[in-house]
Amino acid sequence: MTTTLPAPAKTRPAAATTRFTIVEGSWEHRGLRAAGIVVAALALLAASQLTSFRVGQFTSVFIMAIAIIGLNLVTGYTGLLSIGHSAFFGLGAYTTGVLIVQLEFAPLATIPIAMLLTFVLGLLVGLPSLRIHGLYLALVTLAVAVAFPEIVRRLEGLTGGAAGMVVRSRYLAPPEWTGLVRAQRGIWMFWLSAFVLVLVMLFARGLIRSRFGLMMRTVRDHEIAAAASGVGVARTKILVFGVSGAITGLAGALFTMYIGALSPDGSFTLLKSIELVTGLVLGGVATQFGPLIGAFAVVFLPYYTSSFTTGPLSGVLFGAVLIALCFLMPEGIAGRLGLLIRTVVTVLPPDHPALRER
Amino acid sequence: MELFVERLLAGLTNGSVYALLALALVVVYRATGTLNFAQGELALFTTFVAWWLTTLDAPVWIAIVAALIVGFVLGAAIERLLIRPVQRKNDMAVLIVALGLFTGLNSLAGLLWNSETKIMPSPFPNGLEDYVSVGGARLYGDALGVWGALIVLVVLMTLLFRRTRIGLHMRAVAANPESAALAGVRTSRILMIGWGLSGAIGALAGVLVTPLAPEQLGLTTMFHIFIAASAAALFGGLDSLQGAVVGGITIGVLEAMLSGYVSFIGGELQQTSALLIIVAILFIRPNGLFGTARTVRV
Repeated sequence: MTTTLPAPAKTRPAAATTRFTIVEGSWEHRGLRAAGIVVAALALLAASQLTSFRVGQFTSVFIMAIAIIGLNLVTGYTGLLSIGHSAFFGLGAYTTGVLIVQLEFAPLATIPIAMLLTFVLGLLVGLPSLRIHGLYLALVTLAVAVAFPEIVRRLEGLTGGAAGMVVRSRYLAPPEWTGLVRAQRGIWMFWLSAFVLVLVMLFARGLIRSRFGLMMRTVRDHEIAAAASGVGVARTKILVFGVSGAITGLAGALFTMYIGALSPDGSFTLLKSIELVTGLVLGGVATQFGPLIGAFAVVFLPYYTSSFTTGPLSGVLFGAVLIALCFLMPEGIAGRLGLLIRTVVTVLPPDHPALRER
Repeated sequence: MELFVERLLAGLTNGSVYALLALALVVVYRATGTLNFAQGELALFTTFVAWWLTTLDAPVWIAIVAALIVGFVLGAAIERLLIRPVQRKNDMAVLIVALGLFTGLNSLAGLLWNSETKIMPSPFPNGLEDYVSVGGARLYGDALGVWGALIVLVVLMTLLFRRTRIGLHMRAVAANPESAALAGVRTSRILMIGWGLSGAIGALAGVLVTPLAPEQLGLTTMFHIFIAASAAALFGGLDSLQGAVVGGITIGVLEAMLSGYVSFIGGELQQTSALLIIVAILFIRPNGLFGTARTVRV
């Protein structure tokens, strides 16, 4: 899909109109950042003290957030709607599961292999973009999403087929160097997912700011102009699909380690893709913190709505929320927060012309 | 031989259903330039309406007509109230609204009529004895009915697009909305009619297929059909009516043959293999078999 997105407001309000101006790299800027990191660390510590049920919920939020960050690279920053990310999530999950169960791998050692395989699958999904554009590419992702559960069911010897696959908890115990015992798997997975999430967020941030990130956004905003300026459009798309697939696959690997039981129709159907897209749009397309906020929403909204209603209503709410967002808040929660903050504080690079006037 | 004919007939019947829904997708694409992800669920919802009417002792034919009307009204309302306002913003928003409708309509059907499987009566004779023998294989009444419906629909649509004023206006809007508006075509009404029409066609596909579908009328019935239909529409190039029909029937027959004769694929990989073939075809002809290539400018 070469579409323009509800891009975060690009026009910075002039420095004079906002109350505070902060220069990048100044001590205020660094102090605020450090404060943010401390608050986040304290929040994590506080969350880890909650009941094991809550800790589990937070773990699924983190895993979901990682998966949505992967989707954000393709859909948010490159403008290609993917409804196939459930397959990346599933391939990552099943790679980890199969390696642990069949080959007795240590869980952590499966992660690089899961990421490699999903990276290759991403390249394959992106490959048609050499020839196929727009909606046709969305169909390719649809094909992948539909094919994945069918293939899992077919490869019964490896995956356990339709009956699913159980990874015994003794395989999933925390590694010895952590000093945690098997019963403390919940807290281990909480910290592991949080750690991976931070790494992935930093990676995404660096990628977006890099030269390659600029190419991604150029492809999104104007494909033809991008090609005319020498950006390899197809190459960019293929590579983004690979990287995005690897990140979502990483989330899948963590999912297996967290949940311990996989079934083709459980978490890896097209509905998972829709959930990921919903989370992304709700949190904020092409924003840094949108995926995390969106992950909170898709994990906790159904939980709270199902506490006072039964099954289908949460689906109706999901759909209604998704549609309402397109009308009321196309920039998502993170995008809207960013806009609000910008009316109070402006962060400027040190060489910004507005600073020279003073 | 008998088995071959049987598989061919089954493939043709499924293919006709895919073609029906693919036609609905093509009508929307020609009007608005987007793939309506919610088309299948819209058809599901209207089929539930038809089923609900039959439980109130309405005759099947009345229920079907009512479903068609509900489909038309829903389609037109969705275009007017949900699609048009966001379309001004961007294309991605349209797709996301459609995804929202997809989950929303499906769950709404489940909420109103619970998720148990329903038996939708067929409008055509489909008892065990209602068949004609073709080359030793049995062709049942409702399969013939689907073929007939497809043929009638294609004739009607061709007449509509080629012979009537509304059809002319629809083609004008599809070709160039601005010029059409300047020439006096009431674009917004044409768009609503286009979506309404596709809603009605989808409803027709829904009520005809559910008596044939192995899982009858459940919340997941239309899912596979929608995927096959969107593949069929893309196969034909998204903007071509005959492309949708050819695409739908090709996919139906391919599915039946692949799952029948290639034992690795069996009954489980048919969606995958059909979709893979289409991706391969798109690789050779990126605009589908009948689609018009579009030139772009910076």
